[in-house]
Amino acid sequence: MATIATVELTSDLLSDNMSVIADTTLMKAGTTADDLDQIEYGVVEIATGDEFDLICSTPTATKASKLYVKNHSIDETYYIAITQNAQAIGKLYGGPNGSGDWMFIPADFHDAAADIAITSNGGTNKVEYALFHEGTALTTT
Amino acid sequence: MATTTATITLASADLLTDALSFSTTATLTAAGTSTGLTATTGLGRKKLASGHAQYTLFDGDQYANGSHKVYLKNTSTTASQYFTIEINSEQMGKLYAGDWAFFPWEANADTNDIKIDPSADSMVLEYMLFIDE
Repeated sequence: MATIATVELTSDLLSDNMSVIADTTLMKAGTTADDLDQIEYGVVEIATGDEFDLICSTPTATKASKLYVKNHSIDETYYIAITQNAQAIGKLYGGPNGSGDWMFIPADFHDAAADIAITSNGGTNKVEYALFHEGTALTTT
Repeated sequence: MATTTATITLASADLLTDALSFSTTATLTAAGTSTGLTATTGLGRKKLASGHAQYTLFDGDQYANGSHKVYLKNTSTTASQYFTIEINSEQMGKLYAGDWAFFPWEANADTNDIKIDPSADSMVLEYMLFIDE
């Protein structure tokens, strides 16, 4: 049950055109044979000024979860601010023709406060996200 | 104008009933503009010395508040070896052997450093910063 994440970075900033490619198979923490086998995948639209937890910390504490987030806004002045435990990580800006920013990070949700929160700015941002994880604490009805 | 792009592809044939496969490309630009980023550290490789202490990889007071992008890769092939990544002392996660990460970095305060802490001696990190000047 393998999931493969590949990144390709290209740039003409340097004299030699750069092309860096890396891929990884998403594994549970510290293993080579046990793949991450659960996923939370969705799309949300967030009005400007709204802030909420995209991923709360309880699902996957101290594991090797991977989080993907993409801003699909087509306006380059729109952005979502990403924070973890109120600490700024960075901003994902929109862009024309789907060229908006994305990120892919290891997220170990090391304690109860380590939520990943997003705040929408500039206008309504459409955000795609996927969390590959090792398990969630489902809420008892 | 320089053009820098970052493409991610996520694919799985068997995680879901329907095959998962999607790809997206971001054009890296200065904050709130369509102007391409104009500076980079280039691709670096660092072998961390014995003692595996925590290192400051990028210092927040060396960069303006902006739309920087960070690329990291743990080149280890030992599954249990990882780098712990921190931003301003907040632990983001652990980058296990072979894993890579790509994320925006705001550098919005002098204390907003990116620090790495290897779990073992002599681990090698590959890294690159695209800078919003």
